[in-house]
Amino acid sequence: MSERDPLQSLWIHQQQENFKMTTAQLRQHATRFQSKIRTRNRIEYAAAALVIGVFAWMIAIIPEPMVRAGAGLIILGALYVCWKLHTLAGAADAGGLDHAASLADFHRSELLRQRMALAAVWKWYLAPFVPGMLVFIGAVAFTPELDAPLIARVTLFATTAAPIAAVFGLVAWLNARAVKALDKKIKALEEAG
Amino acid sequence: MKPVPDQDQLYFEAAEAFGPALQRLARATEANEERRRDLLQDMHVALWRSFARFDGRCSLRTWVYRVAHNTAATHVDRERRTRRDTVDIDAAGELAGADSLARQLEERDGVNRLNAWIRRLKPPDRQVITLYLEDLGADAIAEITGFTPGAVATRISRLKTQLAKDFKETTHV
Repeated sequence: MSERDPLQSLWIHQQQENFKMTTAQLRQHATRFQSKIRTRNRIEYAAAALVIGVFAWMIAIIPEPMVRAGAGLIILGALYVCWKLHTLAGAADAGGLDHAASLADFHRSELLRQRMALAAVWKWYLAPFVPGMLVFIGAVAFTPELDAPLIARVTLFATTAAPIAAVFGLVAWLNARAVKALDKKIKALEEAG
Repeated sequence: MKPVPDQDQLYFEAAEAFGPALQRLARATEANEERRRDLLQDMHVALWRSFARFDGRCSLRTWVYRVAHNTAATHVDRERRTRRDTVDIDAAGELAGADSLARQLEERDGVNRLNAWIRRLKPPDRQVITLYLEDLGADAIAEITGFTPGAVATRISRLKTQLAKDFKETTHV
């Protein structure tokens, strides 16, 4: 019989706390975890409801048809995002991560899940708002009621659209960078096995 | 969640047999006492939840270590994204002089220093070394981690050398 490594002896004989959980506590904690996820989803839905409310109010008070069309498209975009959130949350509940998978498989699944979420967020979280934003900003800048030369209208459109485009671009760039870092980790994990 | 008949029984059996190992893993993962207790609770809850789907694909021991380590890895990942103060990198750099590694570590806070050293490692290394310290063989570790036994043995050897080097270096500072 081989002798135990002194480090192993030291490790095994660490002082232990008295820690026990009853089934009631386990159930309570499991429920709390689910309720955290529900709260997070509710915040997302509330934010979408706010966007929908504000642009619905604009449709009600602004007579300009193109501005109303833009606001309508933004509402449709928000509704699409809500639907995606709902289906993704459902898929996460049903599939979840398999905690009893081997550590390498679990790690790989988690990295792939993060990669997929980051790579897709542009498509379902930001892009649905683009048509509505463009129509809305364009309609405001080029409305016949605005008494301004064409150059001033173009400038108004560009200065309003530029910061939005910059934010969208920044998000896309950060996501692409994060995806690249995840790809590196996935590759390293495959090589480690 | 609707419990299956054996879920509670399996959990209590596992908690009885592996409770101390879960505590050691929590200590090697999280330095902050409050968050460590949260992590330990998370491990127990994850274990209890997992037994609703226990399918006998592996032994109870392998199942418990997989669930515990995967929960710990998720914790580390989440903490890294939300905090920057979890890892006490310098903790292993204050060792008092002693001739052998074992004697150094037998000092009053040797375990704390060993835990601090483990917390500095990347997840796969941390997982392998803690499983080794639990006195598991390369085959058992390979089954838990999903690495090959050869890769596990190489990793253990490298980590032990690194551990000895890091602890020895501090005695000459």
